[in-house]
Amino acid sequence: MGYPHAPHPRETLVLSKYFGDGDAIGLDGWRKRGGYVALEKALGMTPVEIVNVVKDSGLRGRGGAGFPTGLKWSFMKPGDGKPHYLCCNADESEPGTFKDREIMRWTPHALIEGCAIGSYAIGAETCYIYIRGEFTEPLQRMEAAVREARAAGVIGPNAMGTGKRVDVWVHKGAGAYICGEETAMMNSLEGRRGNPRIKPPFPAVAGVFGQPTTINNVETLAAVPHILNNGADWYKRMARPDNPKSTGTKLWSVCGNVARPGNYEVEMGFPFKDFLYDLCGGPPPGRKFKAVIPGGSSVPIMNMEEAEAALMDYEGMVAKGSMLGSAGCIVIDDAQCMVKQIARLARFYAHESCAQCTQCREGTAWSTKIMERIEAGEGTMADLDTLLEIGDNMTGKTICVLSDSCAVPVASGIQKWRDEFEAHIKGKRCPFRAAAAA
Amino acid sequence: MADVKTINLTIEGRPVAVPEGTSLLEAARTVGVLIPHYCYHPGLPVAGVCRMCLVEVEKAPKLAAACATSVAEGQIVHVHSEQAREARKGVLEMLLINHPLDCPICDQAGECELQDYTFQEGRKDSRYKEPKRFNPVEDFGGDVVYVPNRCILCTRCVRFMDDVAQEPVLNVSERGDRAYIGKFEGKDLTHPWAGNVVELCPVGALLSKDFLNKARAWELDRTASICPNCTQGCNAIIETRDNTVVRMRPRANPEVNEYFLCDAGRLDYRWMNGPNRLELPQARQNGALVDADWDIALGAAAAAIRGKRTLVVASPMLSNEALHLLSRLVRATGGAGAFRVARGPEAPLPGVKDLALRAERAANVAGAEMLGFAKTDTPLAGLQAGDVLVVADHALTDAEVAAAGRASAVVVIGTTLPAGLTNVAAVLPITNFAEEEGTFTNLRGRVQRFLQAKAAPGLARPSWFVLSDLLGSLGETANYFLPADVFAALAASHAEFAGLTYDRIGLRGLPVLGAAQTAGAAQ
Amino acid sequence: MAVSKEMGGVHAESHATHGSAAHGHGEPHEPVFVGERRKQLDDLLARYPTKMAALLPALWMVQEDRGWVSEAAMAEVAEVLALTPAYVKGVVTFYTMYHQHPVGKHFIQVCTTSPCNVCGAEDVVNAFLKHTKCGELGVTSEDGRFTVIEVECLGACGFATPVMINSDFIESVTPEKVPDLLSKLT
Repeated sequence: MGYPHAPHPRETLVLSKYFGDGDAIGLDGWRKRGGYVALEKALGMTPVEIVNVVKDSGLRGRGGAGFPTGLKWSFMKPGDGKPHYLCCNADESEPGTFKDREIMRWTPHALIEGCAIGSYAIGAETCYIYIRGEFTEPLQRMEAAVREARAAGVIGPNAMGTGKRVDVWVHKGAGAYICGEETAMMNSLEGRRGNPRIKPPFPAVAGVFGQPTTINNVETLAAVPHILNNGADWYKRMARPDNPKSTGTKLWSVCGNVARPGNYEVEMGFPFKDFLYDLCGGPPPGRKFKAVIPGGSSVPIMNMEEAEAALMDYEGMVAKGSMLGSAGCIVIDDAQCMVKQIARLARFYAHESCAQCTQCREGTAWSTKIMERIEAGEGTMADLDTLLEIGDNMTGKTICVLSDSCAVPVASGIQKWRDEFEAHIKGKRCPFRAAAAA
Repeated sequence: MADVKTINLTIEGRPVAVPEGTSLLEAARTVGVLIPHYCYHPGLPVAGVCRMCLVEVEKAPKLAAACATSVAEGQIVHVHSEQAREARKGVLEMLLINHPLDCPICDQAGECELQDYTFQEGRKDSRYKEPKRFNPVEDFGGDVVYVPNRCILCTRCVRFMDDVAQEPVLNVSERGDRAYIGKFEGKDLTHPWAGNVVELCPVGALLSKDFLNKARAWELDRTASICPNCTQGCNAIIETRDNTVVRMRPRANPEVNEYFLCDAGRLDYRWMNGPNRLELPQARQNGALVDADWDIALGAAAAAIRGKRTLVVASPMLSNEALHLLSRLVRATGGAGAFRVARGPEAPLPGVKDLALRAERAANVAGAEMLGFAKTDTPLAGLQAGDVLVVADHALTDAEVAAAGRASAVVVIGTTLPAGLTNVAAVLPITNFAEEEGTFTNLRGRVQRFLQAKAAPGLARPSWFVLSDLLGSLGETANYFLPADVFAALAASHAEFAGLTYDRIGLRGLPVLGAAQTAGAAQ
Repeated sequence: MAVSKEMGGVHAESHATHGSAAHGHGEPHEPVFVGERRKQLDDLLARYPTKMAALLPALWMVQEDRGWVSEAAMAEVAEVLALTPAYVKGVVTFYTMYHQHPVGKHFIQVCTTSPCNVCGAEDVVNAFLKHTKCGELGVTSEDGRFTVIEVECLGACGFATPVMINSDFIESVTPEKVPDLLSKLT
């Protein structure tokens, strides 16, 4: 549903079917709704069979990277004698994104089921669900659900009576966006500073505790039981006829200046214009949409011309100059100052930089300072060139892409809303603040 | 060792063949291409954080960090292409935005890698117009001072303490551009090898309190040498200014000390500068010890020794060359040789094989023993009435000064004059090891050369030179004009040293025959 | 740890609070990991192949019991998990949710990242600053009851503006709701 609003008829409710339904939270309620049937089925299959179904379905990582999940699972070599680990990335910190929290607080067992199937499929006996420390309710509900599931023997040393061990543990983060990066998450889990690691080695070779590890997003794992229950073909049918590369449904977290913010679930390829104006209710009264960041703050900002022509799947977003990312959809109306918001985003990245790489550590802070100076009316035209060059130095040169992510909104802003930047510089003040004060 | 595949690639147009697993950075080094870098250090685990070593690899989508990328067959690597240079220029710009313009007051100036690479590849101006980050200077304890404003967060110091010293007392604190190197309140940098972080720091963020504001790097003369303060024989560099030793730094030797020097050794160099040095030869004339010319003093020494048995008490800090000639003196006079060595607690550097501050605190204990000197806590015990006591740079205790009265005469060959001796026939002033060329033999039997770092005071002469003259005065054949010649004679007459020459020893050293495989990093 | 507006000011701040008597440095540290807490930690240790992996959970236990993580507590955690105090401190200072000094009884964290920012988050911040009488971000009110800070994206963007008060997560806060919210706190 466009939770917390009523479901829209054009949504396709798979993962979000029970959002807002308190009865789906407990084990009994989940079982009543068909829960753990897929797990039972999976434990009777071979891991390879499960991997193949997931591969076939076309499921791609829903955390932002969009990497084919079945392929990722196939990197875990069976029979290597090493303990394998599954890590569920529930660090959800990408600005604009708030879907994993809903999955965890309304259907915690859905995630446990997905984790258990995933663990078994990759030969892991242990799964850690790394939940960001701020997610009080999801943490409580996941901890309670894990206890329930263990007590009922659904997971644990003898999962569903099969003699196979599947342990799922909740691990609480402590406030760091960068721990959403898979290798940083592994470091954090190990009790270290959340620094991303150099790759190679890749997690499937040497991950958490130096052992083969797969990291998957909450939404990705939550989709797995549905795929096993309904089949890969069912999942593949939910796609544009001319784009088989993006399949299934996606939870879109819509926020910002929009009539009905919330999580919407639509099939891949849904037309973005319809989505924004029809499902989400369009802009607030008296306002017009100005910009959309479709996939969380790290993807290029779209102007409305681009957005209204885009289709909501991985390739469709790229075709219009942005990315699907985490589908954290931030909508900005014409009362907002782009310079201010981009400055605020730069500040976000500067706050979250882990400090390893020179360009990120210094560049995020430098970009922020220049942006804030421009917003305060003390910028120069040369600053715009400097910002773009700093952004260039921050792109493609660091251990992880936080650095690139900071450069993205700055570049989008200067490219597409140059007039706003120039107004700040030439007018020596923020025109929006001046207008609001008037 | 299992067969390791050889990988062939091209770096800056030069063909390279290196074992599989070698990093691009090390591979480039083998063909003389230096890829600029900060956080990488061959003695530390790879971090790949400074991003300075970015190079262009054809057909790769992104620039590669050379320290963290392994060679692959057929790679074509460009270190100085426009793309790579622009990327490195960007890194340098970023490093300098908060870096204070401290060069005029920073100890690192002149030996600063930030200066070096900025000169080579950086921007000529700064575009940074914002306020710079400021943090106060911190005393880390031990010999180390931390200047956070200059820190480029390469984390070499943290990795050294974590992995090589294996005492994680340094950390990176905070995040983003607020990050700095921190330690825990009350837990100082007192590890016996902690001073190496100063050496490792590429900029002036970690400084030696001992060296603070003492000299400018470009004023220093640097001489390859060996740390004389224990039997490990760490390779060192003696740095002097105006003929005074002002600093000792490690010199890399993978077979002995890798890249490191312990604090005890590093900071103990003041004795090389005096005080109270013997500058003039002396001879007893008319019952009094007076300053004399060299030939008179040598004559007086020879006269005292002729026809008598000698007991030579030598310092284990003397070179192989000096000790060889002293042992000839012992043999020529039917005498004996002995030495005492000071001891202290051993302090290993766990991350390096067989490296420690050794209990025996002198450079040439092994050499002394191989050359026939007996190690004993009572070196004068063998002094028989009528013997001549030759004190070769040995520091006499009060009891020993009293015992010396038993000798028919005392000949002092040393750097200082022991007080209280009554029967000194001659005093022959010699150089200390920093003022002469020679070799030491370390505890693993490795013979290592040290070169002359400063001039001797007054009329003092090299130990081997003086001893050659003395032997000559006693009728022995000893016409040596170069320490290499003395060493050659030593090698000719001692089986373990057979085949060794100064040229072959070079500045890396060589083991004597029969030495246990010199452990060090070689394992 | 207060998120101050100044990029460079945070380190100076932590230096300033270092060794201050106000942070209980004079009183001896009562161990946290005894009795029930020790048992909880031991149970937790069974989930991981290394002791170090229990570091974040152990630090949470300290903060839950004491309200903040003191240097003495860091030393205790280090001892219990066979780590060095410097190492533990490096980890503590990385994560924003561990307080390195005592904070107000009600630690109010308002998200102001862009999705909430365009929905008036800054007005919410100002409302809290006014009604708690804190006046300034990061500064505890005179009566010790409140500290207000801005935080980064809390992951509830569609429920702007989310606010955490200690570990209570409150959605959809507007400036109008602030006085009522505060009145319910002791």
